[in-house]
Amino acid sequence: MDIDLLFRIAAIGILVAVLHQVLARAGREDQAMMTTLAGLIIVLSMVIKEISTLFESVRTLFNL
Amino acid sequence: MSEVIKIIAIGMLALIIIIIIKQYKPEFAIYISIIAGALILLISLQKMGEIVTLIKNISDKAGVNGKFLSIILKITGIAILTEFAVSICKDSGESSIANKIEMGSKVIIISMSIPIISSLLELMLNILP
Repeated sequence: MDIDLLFRIAAIGILVAVLHQVLARAGREDQAMMTTLAGLIIVLSMVIKEISTLFESVRTLFNL
Repeated sequence: MSEVIKIIAIGMLALIIIIIIKQYKPEFAIYISIIAGALILLISLQKMGEIVTLIKNISDKAGVNGKFLSIILKITGIAILTEFAVSICKDSGESSIANKIEMGSKVIIISMSIPIISSLLELMLNILP
């Protein structure tokens, strides 16, 4: 589960960067911005899921 | 030994990915550093469980008050999480947020250690003639 999370985020990042360039070249700046925001939100949800597992494990370990 | 290799591998991998991604989309670099930090911490926390149980056993044998031990463990947990957040904020250049997080967690730690301090003072008062 853990290492491929890094690859997934890197892949989304590169994909969004490429999409941004393509859409910008095609003259649709607003859609380019939309795809960047969408990519950011997707990655944010993955990061938050991982952070919540981390906080949960610390909480149960130290019974905070 | 395999944990050390895994931790170093994740660190190096994240470093390389960040360098690649930073040129195109700097926002994703922060995400990757957060995820790498979280993964490494999760791996080390699995080992931490054994340490915590060892400390509990020893303290039970030594007759240390269980309440104080749980407070100490809570403070350790808070310190770990705070350090995690502070280093990420400093990494992305927001040292003012890092200082606020650090100050807030210090206040919480001190407020949690009040029972220990008060029992220490009572002990000293009893000892003094």
